[in-house]
Amino acid sequence: MIDYADVQGTVLRGYRVDLARHFVLSVADAARARAFIAQLVDGTGGVPRITTAARWTKKPECFVNIGFTCAGLAALGVSPAQLATFDRAFQRGATSSDSTEAVGDVGESAPANWIGGLGDGARVHVVLNVWVDDNPAVLEDVSTRLRQAWAGAMTELSAHDAQALPDNFVHFGYHDNIAQPTVEGAPPRKRQVPDDQPVVPTGEFLLGYQNAYGSQYTVQPTALSTNSSYAAFRILEQDVAGFEHFLTTSASKAGIDPELLAAKVCGRWRNGNPLELAPDAPGTTLPMSKLNDFTYVDADAAKDDTLGLRCPIGSHIRRNNPRNQAIIGTDATHHRIVRRAMPYGPAYDPARPDTIPRGLIGYFINASLTNQFEFLLGQWNLTADFVKSASGPGGPAAGNAVFNISGEDVFLGVNDPSSSSFTLAALGARGKNNTHVTGFPRLITTRGGAYCFLPSVTGLRYLAAS
Amino acid sequence: MANPLTLLMPVTPGVNPAAIAAALAKYHDQIQVALTSVGTVHYARFVLLDRSSPSLQPGAGTGPFVLGVITEYDGDFNAYIQDFVAKVGAVFDALLAFTVGGKDVTPVADHISAFTDYIRKYDLSQQPGADGLYQAYPQTVQQILAAFE
Repeated sequence: MIDYADVQGTVLRGYRVDLARHFVLSVADAARARAFIAQLVDGTGGVPRITTAARWTKKPECFVNIGFTCAGLAALGVSPAQLATFDRAFQRGATSSDSTEAVGDVGESAPANWIGGLGDGARVHVVLNVWVDDNPAVLEDVSTRLRQAWAGAMTELSAHDAQALPDNFVHFGYHDNIAQPTVEGAPPRKRQVPDDQPVVPTGEFLLGYQNAYGSQYTVQPTALSTNSSYAAFRILEQDVAGFEHFLTTSASKAGIDPELLAAKVCGRWRNGNPLELAPDAPGTTLPMSKLNDFTYVDADAAKDDTLGLRCPIGSHIRRNNPRNQAIIGTDATHHRIVRRAMPYGPAYDPARPDTIPRGLIGYFINASLTNQFEFLLGQWNLTADFVKSASGPGGPAAGNAVFNISGEDVFLGVNDPSSSSFTLAALGARGKNNTHVTGFPRLITTRGGAYCFLPSVTGLRYLAAS
Repeated sequence: MANPLTLLMPVTPGVNPAAIAAALAKYHDQIQVALTSVGTVHYARFVLLDRSSPSLQPGAGTGPFVLGVITEYDGDFNAYIQDFVAKVGAVFDALLAFTVGGKDVTPVADHISAFTDYIRKYDLSQQPGADGLYQAYPQTVQQILAAFE
């Protein structure tokens, strides 16, 4: 049994709100920072209480969670020997060259170009998150109270606002936030989206529980371990005009409709319907109970899509969760992440082109930044050779999965135009009839990041008292 | 392009090499299945060296012995180390029981970080002087399997 009241809420619950503000802070006075953490845990001193995963009867006016970088924990007195027990990627931090190379934060996406002081990893200590339903006045009020409380304890490097677009759409025009892993022991989602994938062990998202490897992720001291988690905080700027240009020009070259290409690179039509269930046209949006209820390999030849003929093997949703497709290593259950991101910036109006920054900001949550977030980005998004040799019902003459993927993820890849590639698979041995969309640029640029530790409430009390 | 692993692990003094051979025989089938399942290993072999023998070949010598695991594999070993451990962790647990410092990193499933460091320490291919790997072809295991399907 998970003690929900000991787990920071965002790890196990989606708050279903429309506004968020993420503060990036640097510890200036450790003792006063500890006192602020104590206030946050208890909800004293005018500060809202930290939000846990405990069930609420009345929806709170705001939700508050807090993450610490490795430098932040060190600033609060966690010893080097203790920090050495933490996740390797977390210890390195998001701005280290090993991390940036692993996830593709290079070139324009390199930390040297990050906003809000995030590029200076040694100074980024705390990411504090506030979510409110939809009232900006509440967000301002909570922000004022928090700023008063941490004054003198921490320096505010920056604050980053997010605002949901209508109906869970994101700037590229897709209905988002459909698929999330089902975590063993987690509270049921209010808006259940059933799928046929295995339930993911608790230990993939919380320290101190059995993970997918039959082991546990833990850290020292013990007080910081059980019920804590990690998250990659990310600011991802989306080039909407560039994406639409890519769709128009590349679809024309490939001889298909731009909306079909939009569906192929994502794996879903922009209305959220998955290609596996709606292969030819978007149709009417399926009910939530159907949107995620599909898989890629099926004993029924009519349903099987081993070759990615309906949903490309290199599509965004298939790369990031290959479901039951055969992949090297183990399987998709071993590298899941929970996404808690929200759009920022105004919706793009093609009639009035602008260069206002817009994109997605939030947390990618997991119990191992190394084996989940970084693995996902570095292996499944940035390579095309993680797919195992497999043919479908038509045998090798119809093709093999290995030949039906190329390049990097269209959304999350580095995608140098000289080598970028996306495969539209067609029947035929060794991919001989495939179409390759090439020459497209990077469409999402990393504007900031921080690897965060999300302590349990017990852990927060430990930090406050240490 | 594949990468080399040349893992040469000093055997704890006093260990009977016959016990290592017996362990390798016991796990032979499991290793075959596991490496096929991982899907990135081109070739793998286990060797035993006797440092007291001029030829290094184990025979009547008394050691100290060295247990070698030599493979050519696709991709980033560190990125896949947990998946690798999920498939062959039990084999490594059995072999590390014979090696110097091995017990400190077992069960490997619970000591991923220490096991990673252990491999880095004893993998000659990650040490200064290693000159990479010659390979006659650039394809991955899965590309080859697919091509000859």
